[in-house]
Amino acid sequence: MRFLKTDERGDPAALKKADGDITGWMARRRWARVGIVYSVMILFAIILVGPMLFAALSSLKVNPLEYPPSLRIPELNPRNWVTAAQLGRAGAGDAFQGGFAPGAEIPFDLTYFYPEGTDPAPPDVEVPRRRPGSGLGAARTIDYAADYAEVSALEVVERERGEHEVDGTREDGVFVTYSFAVRYVGDGPLVGRVPLAATAERGHHYVDSTLPASRLERRGMVASFDNIAPGLGRYVVRNYSRVFDEARSVTTGRSLFVAWTRNSFLVAFARVLTNVVFASMAGYAVARYRFRGRFLIFFGLLFAQMVPAQVTFISNYLLVRDGLFGLSHLFGRDTFLNSLWGVIIAGAGSGAAMIHAGMVFVMKQFFETLPRDIEEAAEIDGAGTVQRYIRVVLPMARPALGAVIILTFQGTWNEFFWPLVVLTSPEEVKTLPVGLLAFRQVYGVAGDWGLILAGAILSALPVIVLFVVFQKYFMQGIAFGGSKE
Amino acid sequence: MDLYGTKYNEEPGGRPGLTFNSLKRSTQEQISAYLFLAPFLITLAVFFLYSTGRAFYFSFTDYNLFADPNWVGLENYLSLFRQSLFLRALQNTLLFSVIVTTVQTFLALVMATVLNQRIRGLAFFRAAYYIPSIASSVVITLIFMWMYQRRGLINYLWTEARRHAPIILLFIALVIVLQVAQVIWERRRGYPARWVDPALFLISFTVGAIGTLGAWVAGVVSVRPLPPVDFTWLATRVRLPGWAPSFLRVPVPLVAIMIQNIFTTIPTMMIMYLAALQGIPPSFYEAADIEGASVPQKFFRITIPSVRPVTFLVVALSLIGTLQMFDQVAIFGDAVPLESVITLSYYVYDRMFPGAQLPQVGLASAAAMFLAILTMLAVLVQRVFIKSEAE
Repeated sequence: MRFLKTDERGDPAALKKADGDITGWMARRRWARVGIVYSVMILFAIILVGPMLFAALSSLKVNPLEYPPSLRIPELNPRNWVTAAQLGRAGAGDAFQGGFAPGAEIPFDLTYFYPEGTDPAPPDVEVPRRRPGSGLGAARTIDYAADYAEVSALEVVERERGEHEVDGTREDGVFVTYSFAVRYVGDGPLVGRVPLAATAERGHHYVDSTLPASRLERRGMVASFDNIAPGLGRYVVRNYSRVFDEARSVTTGRSLFVAWTRNSFLVAFARVLTNVVFASMAGYAVARYRFRGRFLIFFGLLFAQMVPAQVTFISNYLLVRDGLFGLSHLFGRDTFLNSLWGVIIAGAGSGAAMIHAGMVFVMKQFFETLPRDIEEAAEIDGAGTVQRYIRVVLPMARPALGAVIILTFQGTWNEFFWPLVVLTSPEEVKTLPVGLLAFRQVYGVAGDWGLILAGAILSALPVIVLFVVFQKYFMQGIAFGGSKE
Repeated sequence: MDLYGTKYNEEPGGRPGLTFNSLKRSTQEQISAYLFLAPFLITLAVFFLYSTGRAFYFSFTDYNLFADPNWVGLENYLSLFRQSLFLRALQNTLLFSVIVTTVQTFLALVMATVLNQRIRGLAFFRAAYYIPSIASSVVITLIFMWMYQRRGLINYLWTEARRHAPIILLFIALVIVLQVAQVIWERRRGYPARWVDPALFLISFTVGAIGTLGAWVAGVVSVRPLPPVDFTWLATRVRLPGWAPSFLRVPVPLVAIMIQNIFTTIPTMMIMYLAALQGIPPSFYEAADIEGASVPQKFFRITIPSVRPVTFLVVALSLIGTLQMFDQVAIFGDAVPLESVITLSYYVYDRMFPGAQLPQVGLASAAAMFLAILTMLAVLVQRVFIKSEAE
């Protein structure tokens, strides 16, 4: 309540007014507080999701390390989409994938600015013999557009006087637009991309072109284009198509990223299957049966979750190397190293092997909450133990099994340490996280972050989709983490 | 009890006892139980118990994967402490664990307290905050490595903050002055305004923003023409802070991992705290309000004691996670000097697969055992510590 001034004391009207006053005053504070809380929440959301979102947007750029970082991304400009599709059709008759096929004629325009007092000489245009990217699969032979391309003479199509900003000052001069075409001479294979380099003389400035230059090199003298016939797809998701195209197996030439994704899915599905079947069985036994050594099982569960990966991986590595007591001979191999079986069956760290102790725990907790009546009724009906388990218990356990499926999939998909130990060579045997490390090692040196980011974002997609759809189970997972102790 | 007053066994898995075939029945149960448990028990025995035992044995031998192991007693444990790389790993691990655990626990609690409001849409925000934690450590580390590049996002934001420092400082000063002036004014009018009054703060914020913008346009303050910050986050051996004694200096690349780790762990912890906070009866705070407690007083006297069990859990999980940190070191890999980021976990891996040299399985096992004991001790110590505070 508001403190009354001396002369208001004892005046009922003033008291009433003061009461109404203070109610409104408090209400305004509540509203303001809600507003501030929402603003803070949005701020937190920006801080926490921001890096991933910014990385996802930057992964579309030719150079994600552009400085200063900006979100003006030419790849997201619809006008460039149309141009890219047209150029793709001109290059290989394919508006989406683009390329360079026999008979192609790709028209291209370049605009340069010549400040007052310089001699407007056309730039030197060539199709360079440039290897796409570096590293993984670089030993393969590929076709170069340079071997089949011919650049026609540059023609001046427009000349206009104007002002242009050069190094922070506006200068008078002439804008000249040149037009030319890149032709496919003779017969040959379909080439994936057509790089282009336009070298100008000192003092001349690249302004614009049909598609914006991928980068300016040598202090802006060389306008370099990675692909002037990209098609819509190769233009907008350039780095993403590179992820699939460029990193290839040295022996088979297959896309490494596809192989890694396939491996990750295989391992995750297998682990989901083993956990759904075996962890639920174990959880059921611990929850329902009294048996000798029950206490020891609890100890084992706890132990499997507590012992560091670094302790168990030493012996497990040796076991896998030696083929798990001859088990590998069933699969026709002497060792489980560099085999997905080794990743699936064995494991290291916080209970992660074929059967995850944490998942046994989830199932045990769940079965303890299930009433026994139905099982007992089934027993009276003459159902055997196994039949009862499959027909009666498991169908009731659907919510818990859902949690096991989701959490196991996410855990296995993201697992890094154990696959890193087991899968070393060749490249195509790896799972996504280990493969991404190879990306980092090979392309990071060259500063080629577009490809690395695109690979990282792609590999995160499945779990993000899973999270958006099955959010409930993830939150249960945290709650479960909270009740583990 | 049933209708006839027979007492049932109340134990889990219990069945009505004292029947003819009770013995047979319990034997049946034993067999079924072990059949159901068999796959799990085999995994547990082979991949956890046997492997731990074997690592324990290896830690007393000179095994190198090729020659037969010879018993060397405690030699491995002793030689660990003579190796500078191990000592560096130990130092890095301890610094990383203590700093990260402290910072992220505190920040998570503060953020949870701010968000602990009964408002609509909380579930949506909670889900959004959780997104950084569901992606793999590899994805997050790669994104952070990209941001840590010399001309990356982090140095850019740093540059911009430095350039705009006069404007930011003016804005903060204006908001504080306006807030203080308004609170004094409201109090003189007889309203019980607090220093952090939300309604007045909104006014201070808006007016402060307009004032700062005006001063900027009028040219009273301006952006400083500073060169871009070129701080090297990764490929550096610099250790900070320079004034600290050598054993407390943290290598810069390790700071980079710390920032990233705090960033990805906070959401999970915050959600755990939020669940605990929502369980505190509002009457506690109302009572404190009547007694005129300040916001910090309420935080330290009510909030922190109420969430102590969660704090124990959060700190335990955080200690286990940070003491065993491996992924980030492996992914940073050759982009940073090894000694700047090496942790105990990575040391074990490095001795096991040392590239061109002969593997030192004995040494690796000894270091792994040391790590396991260190983890256990840390969790025990903090349990005692937090308990004793509660009493």
